[in-house]
Amino acid sequence: MHSRKSAIQKLCPIWAPLILASFFALPASAQSFRVQCPTATTLHPAPPSGQTDPLSGDPLYNGPTALSPAPKFKPLNGAPPFSLPYAYVTNGGAIKCQEISGGDGFMTEADGNQTFLFGFGPLSGLGLIQNGLPGTQLAADFNQRYNAPFLDLAGTKPDPLFNPSFPVNINAGIAIPAEMMNIGVLNANIPAPLMAIDEDDEFFLTLTNVGMIMRPDLFEQHTVHFHGYPNASSFFDGVPDASVAINIGGSMTYYYLAPDAGTYFWHCHITPPEHLQMGMVGQLYVRPRQNRVANGTSLYTAFQWQQSDLRTSCFPSKDILCATPPPAVNTGFKQGDTVNSNTYTKYAYNDGDGSTRYDVELPLQIHGFDPNFHFVGMTFNPEGFSDMKDKYFLLNGRSYPDTVQTGPQATEDSDGIVRPSQPMPATLTLKSGQRALLRISDLDVTEYQTLASLGIPMQVIAVNARLLRDQAGNNLYYTTNSITLAGGESLDVILDTTGIAPGTYFLYTPQLDHLSNDAENFGGLMTEIVVQ
Amino acid sequence: MKALTMKTAKPNTRVLSVIWILLASLCGASAGHASVPGIQGTTFSLVASENYTTQPDGMAIYSWGYGCATTTGVTPLPFGSCASMQIPGPTLIVTEGQTVTVTLTNNLGAVAGNTSIVFPGFQVCLGAITSGVCGAPTPGNGVQGLLTQEAGPGQSVTYTFIATTPGTHAYYSGTQSDLQIEMGLYGALVVLPASPSTSCVKNANTGSSYTLAASAYDGNTPNTCYDREYLFQLAEMDPRIHQDALAQMHCSSTTSSTGCPTAINVAIEPYHARYFLINGRSMPDDMDANFAPNYPHQPYNGNPHMHPGDMVLLRIIGQGRYQHPLHEHGNHVRVLARDGNLMVSQTDPTSLAGPLLFTTTTTPGVAMDGIFYWSGRGLNWDIYGHTPGDGSTCIADANGYNTMPSPPQGAGVPSNYYEWCADHLKPLETMNGGPTTLPDSNIMTNGLWYAGSAYLGLDATTKAMGPTPLPPASSPQNPNAGYAFMWHSHNEREITTNDVFPGGMMMMMIVDAPVTVIDETL
Repeated sequence: MHSRKSAIQKLCPIWAPLILASFFALPASAQSFRVQCPTATTLHPAPPSGQTDPLSGDPLYNGPTALSPAPKFKPLNGAPPFSLPYAYVTNGGAIKCQEISGGDGFMTEADGNQTFLFGFGPLSGLGLIQNGLPGTQLAADFNQRYNAPFLDLAGTKPDPLFNPSFPVNINAGIAIPAEMMNIGVLNANIPAPLMAIDEDDEFFLTLTNVGMIMRPDLFEQHTVHFHGYPNASSFFDGVPDASVAINIGGSMTYYYLAPDAGTYFWHCHITPPEHLQMGMVGQLYVRPRQNRVANGTSLYTAFQWQQSDLRTSCFPSKDILCATPPPAVNTGFKQGDTVNSNTYTKYAYNDGDGSTRYDVELPLQIHGFDPNFHFVGMTFNPEGFSDMKDKYFLLNGRSYPDTVQTGPQATEDSDGIVRPSQPMPATLTLKSGQRALLRISDLDVTEYQTLASLGIPMQVIAVNARLLRDQAGNNLYYTTNSITLAGGESLDVILDTTGIAPGTYFLYTPQLDHLSNDAENFGGLMTEIVVQ
Repeated sequence: MKALTMKTAKPNTRVLSVIWILLASLCGASAGHASVPGIQGTTFSLVASENYTTQPDGMAIYSWGYGCATTTGVTPLPFGSCASMQIPGPTLIVTEGQTVTVTLTNNLGAVAGNTSIVFPGFQVCLGAITSGVCGAPTPGNGVQGLLTQEAGPGQSVTYTFIATTPGTHAYYSGTQSDLQIEMGLYGALVVLPASPSTSCVKNANTGSSYTLAASAYDGNTPNTCYDREYLFQLAEMDPRIHQDALAQMHCSSTTSSTGCPTAINVAIEPYHARYFLINGRSMPDDMDANFAPNYPHQPYNGNPHMHPGDMVLLRIIGQGRYQHPLHEHGNHVRVLARDGNLMVSQTDPTSLAGPLLFTTTTTPGVAMDGIFYWSGRGLNWDIYGHTPGDGSTCIADANGYNTMPSPPQGAGVPSNYYEWCADHLKPLETMNGGPTTLPDSNIMTNGLWYAGSAYLGLDATTKAMGPTPLPPASSPQNPNAGYAFMWHSHNEREITTNDVFPGGMMMMMIVDAPVTVIDETL
């Protein structure tokens, strides 16, 4: 088991410098920042090798196989090594890691208002996050040495821990406690760092609570709730009442075997009406096994492979909650098939028929901010909940027209450092004839919100991370011009631009009072889809 | 919780959270487990009257509710009683095809005016139903209202209908509904299938589970078998309306300088909901027992318990004016039916077609049935913390679960009924050979429902490798060390009670270890 410890694990547990304690004037000196990203586990004894899927970095999927040689579990507590009394089945996948901070910071509303947040920020994959990409990485990439010359985007604030004798790497996981504080304090993003994993991955997600420097009176814990994880353990479910919550100065690594493919999302579960309103909301999706099938393989055949492992199978007569029943019709769709001169290797779900194929994807999170609540949240006053009234309506943390700005949107924080507070654009460009997958989630805490499409029909293929398919295998997709979601819901929409003339098309809310940015009678929940 | 008075409009939530922790530890002893209590029969005598309901902030709220004028001819099912006034109203349990007669007496008081009940989805007859045919209205049976026949003050009205559609249904006032439903005049009607499935195999559970029927709907297919069931009625409340109603209903020249109304006229807008209710109670009151004596007019709780692998039928009704996104932590819900209409495949009527949802939107006037279960399948670690040589076994059935009624466990090894066998013995913690090291408990804050380890069951708390796990049974809210999952409105401002968090539309669902006895009568 010693061999499984990563370089980062070997450093641990690391006791944060005393400066941290004095910084927050903590009553107890119990700080422990600790990151876990093992390079090997029993399920994934070696990193992916040979031909891999370009999107996930995972090995290709050929159906379930018994892990060979049969693994030996080697306890560190002195117990003798042991094997399981049955074949240990693998479906591929890899170890994926990500690291985030929980703290506070500022964002900029579309009307210029600088707004205080409780939020999560990246402590790994900083370069990926700034480019609007998922910050999730293979262990080998995560376990590199973080080394950045500057603390800020503009390159004006030198990072005191920069070591020029090592290569610059802004995507590695940060393992040094001082650097976690340098980067993590005031690092809140809205939405929180994007996560993307693949079925069969083991996901090690480390949350470090860096404290809220703008609210030194608070001793808030934070957690991660992986919303929608089926058959969750309550320990890793992130509900502080049912599990443990991370104090300031501490880290916790959440461990998940990736669940069935779908658009999920995540958020803090401490005092949800407060922490969610204040911005601790993020996006998370699981990509299907079907993406990893070799070129030319029938998707229907690959679906049957999944049916031979009880964990990945779906027989509706046996399991009323199983995720995706076999398709009623074998369409003969094969990996890499070309439709309208577009080649398809990416799907939203394990459809077995190619019907959820897409060319480009856009994770889109709906949220709402009540500026009064955020203003009060920056001071020392208690907050009212039932009076909450959102006046900013956000797509990926931005309101129109900021939604269509490309690149990260930055905010100067109270320490003078400009940080990418809203890294994710909410806009998309695609060629006529292509299919866009919108992974839409909503974490508004006060009301339902509607998003409509002008010009391009919306085909709803899934709700709440589950393909719309009846138990007999018929796809129940429906076409509409608008979708309505409450906080705590998600759905997947395909925008098929076949026959759509080039131009700019709008996604906007027909809830007309949501087309505003506080006092500005313009903006709100709106963005653009550009068809070329 | 009644003794507690929190009258501050916007109290400091952090101070209150401390108070809450203290109080929650006091009310653990009366924590109960739910089922679907109601009254069974074909002839019901209900009365609409006024009384006070209570909230966990100590407020007594003037309310109107349905209750039993008499319990003659009805049977409490599976247990319990029927109050003279309760919110929600008595759950009426009938069987598909029966002719059901409901007589409502209006005891609200003259100022309240008329009242009534509507039964959406059923053909209500105002006379006698003979051989399935509705006869002429009985002379003097109520007075004509807009939506239905009404009972004037002190008067009665009788509704008769055939329970044509199985499943869960709502009933509520059809008179001045904007006020009367807000005041509490709503309830549930459960229609049991006439021909439930004969092929259901119930889980071998410890403790009784009082299912009202073997299956939610008729026939063996599609499969709607279940092991437990719970009914949640969601509604919100604006206490200002209730205060205004009280002032008008009990007005006298000494309390009002502007004169007393002869007919109630309360402004419904602006509407400002401050209480968010599950079965008439706010969290944490909703997790106290059914028929707990401290809530004489809110007898039904919201406190779901289950064992791994139990098929749990959820009957959920929106009874207020808002939609509420009810998020079920732990797994998806298969929606079976909407307002008693089973959703089946258009090509195969033996296959279900309702969606799988992790958030079941609750819409005013809409009732849904769904199936939930939790098994812990696919976590890649053994939820019981089994280790080699501890005497545990896991013998997979065709679905991969250990469903042997009496598995050949070693002496003293608690049952692992419905364990997902592919993960049996797989360690979680690095110390045991697993993938991850659990956090130092010195830098964590423990929840009230956290039993001290990542594992399920009382004996598992001794298996934690962390430096300082809680001693066994040290969680007052979860003494049997089940897995707790929050079921709550994801419009998160609704998990508050008059601005205080936690509260409102929230309950802790607990997956108890197989050895834990779940007593649904509590």
